[in-house]
Amino acid sequence: MDETVAEFFKRTILKIPMAEMMTILKAWDFLSENQLQTVNFRQRKESLVQDLVLLCEKKRASLNDAAILDIVYTQFHRHQKVWDVFRMSREPGEDIDLFDMEQFKRSFKKILQRALKNVTISFRDAEENAVWIRIAWGSQYRKPNQYRPVYVVYYSQTPYAFTSSSQLRSNIPLLGQTFETHNSTTPLHERSLGLDINMDSRIIHENRIEKERVQRVTQETFGYYPQPRLEFAQYKLETKFKSDLNGGILAEREEPLRCLIKFSSPHLLEALKALAPAGIADAPLSPLLTCIPNKGMNYFKIRDK
Amino acid sequence: MLRVGPGLAADFIFCPVVRSFSLQYLCLETMDSCDTPESTPRQRASSRLKDYFIGATPLQKRLESVRRQTSFVPTPSRRKIPQCSQLQEDVDPQKVAFLLHKQWTLYSLTPLYKFSYTNLKEYSKLLGAFIAAEKQKGLAVEVGEDFNIKVIFSALLGMKGTQRDPEAFLVQILSKSQLPSENREGKVLWTGWFCCIFGDSLLETVSEDFTCLPLFLANGAETNTAMIGTWFQKTFDCYFSPLAINAYNLSWMAAMWTACKMDHYMATTEFLWSVPCSPQRLDISYAIHPEDAKALWDSVHKTPGEVTQEEVDLFMDCLYSHFHRHFKIHLSATRLVRVSTSVASAHTDGKIKILCHKYLIGVLAYLTELAIFQIE
Repeated sequence: MDETVAEFFKRTILKIPMAEMMTILKAWDFLSENQLQTVNFRQRKESLVQDLVLLCEKKRASLNDAAILDIVYTQFHRHQKVWDVFRMSREPGEDIDLFDMEQFKRSFKKILQRALKNVTISFRDAEENAVWIRIAWGSQYRKPNQYRPVYVVYYSQTPYAFTSSSQLRSNIPLLGQTFETHNSTTPLHERSLGLDINMDSRIIHENRIEKERVQRVTQETFGYYPQPRLEFAQYKLETKFKSDLNGGILAEREEPLRCLIKFSSPHLLEALKALAPAGIADAPLSPLLTCIPNKGMNYFKIRDK
Repeated sequence: MLRVGPGLAADFIFCPVVRSFSLQYLCLETMDSCDTPESTPRQRASSRLKDYFIGATPLQKRLESVRRQTSFVPTPSRRKIPQCSQLQEDVDPQKVAFLLHKQWTLYSLTPLYKFSYTNLKEYSKLLGAFIAAEKQKGLAVEVGEDFNIKVIFSALLGMKGTQRDPEAFLVQILSKSQLPSENREGKVLWTGWFCCIFGDSLLETVSEDFTCLPLFLANGAETNTAMIGTWFQKTFDCYFSPLAINAYNLSWMAAMWTACKMDHYMATTEFLWSVPCSPQRLDISYAIHPEDAKALWDSVHKTPGEVTQEEVDLFMDCLYSHFHRHFKIHLSATRLVRVSTSVASAHTDGKIKILCHKYLIGVLAYLTELAIFQIE
């Protein structure tokens, strides 16, 4: 057996909690009852895993068999994942096609393999006309990463498909295409429900325009490159107190307020850059702060004009 | 206006409506000695409460007070500016000098069960033995080989707000050198003191077997504090809890200490803010000349002898707006972490340094209030 496949078996079996080991292996249905009986399930987990991997080797288990085991594990632990829900929409008047599971699996695999060079696709049927699809992605030059697969659960008699959250958001449109091509329906509507209730699509970004303006202004002020590293800036202020809101306070006082302001941070300019987007400062930030890189100074004395 | 304890200038006025029942009960008691002729609706309400609760056990009273706590901001909306207290003048400044200019870590402490001031020598021996035993186990902090320590419990006379406050006491761990010499008292390794300043609201609710000293201040190695804390907890069935000071109370302290009349200023008035949700830690220190801070406060201050919530908010607002005018940063969106004045400085982690002997009692009174609130 290939080393990477053996490693994949080992890691997959290791994931399984001891309490569930027998149940999951039986559900996997690759090793027979007799074979399982030859293994001592009371030994330490590491030794048990070794014995099981040896058994798999003897039976010439393939990568696909390991992938199926991974699916079984995930089916038992589906609640540990966050799922996005997709719904396929149908134009009114279109006929409902008769669904053929085998044909679906074939065309699904074909489409993905045509689009991507290195990909592992595995299927496992489940209850209620559902099919679990496991996809491990690689790249043009790299073999698929078996440890970060995406799962798609498709309930064939419904317009719904679930995908486990993936860092590789870029692949979602591709998955969408596989359904589209197969079902020849109009494009998917994404309704991100997931198990995380905060992902309600009715929630929108407030002040989107303002947020974008702040980002733009911050970018214009600070630029795209990392800021010069600075830890400290000090301002000696001798300015009069003036406030529109608190009118009358210190109105008669001629003398300025003598203040000393010190900013300190492991990376001051990056911290200042983050203030406006976080809502803690206005954008644009005060020129007293933004002039630091230009002037090459970080000690200032500010007086009223 | 209801006063706590007639005649003493350093009293704190509590607004009865927002305080818990136990204090309303207290206010009613002292009402007779006040000069207020009109009976306000509040006073009538208090009178009804008193009738309702006569005969209730201390526990029932405390439960009722918790139930009635309707305000989300249970601290008073106004406080008296600390003045020099009559009692305080009895305290020998020399004797308390060692309490000043030291950083104390604050804890709240539940009442001590069956603690007796006549047993201080006994306690010294017991605690000393306990520490020696812990050292055998290798748990104590050792400075060098062969070194002995001595524990001293002593009373801190005069460290109280009213006569009803229990006497404060001090615990010190000193190193005792093996060499016989005239000066056998070694240096102080650890100091802790227990006090209660205007603790009436707590005193009302406990029976005679308990001694209420809700404020505990410690200076020295943390391991020693933990060890001594364990001994107290085992011996007096009490419980220590670190006393953090939130930004709200820090603002109050800044305003109150700025309001204190000072002959001369020893330190600048300084605030320290920490900015949250920043990829990097960012600290902003804002120091203002104490005379300017006082001028700002005087301009804000309206009610003589008192500090109100509105004045605290306005004072802080002025500081925020002056800062915003220059830097366009909203300090109110950041976290106030430390305030420092010539009277005292306080850190949100529950650390305090008292700089001015004149207002020692005033500072402790506020801290006692925070400690009692944490216990209740």
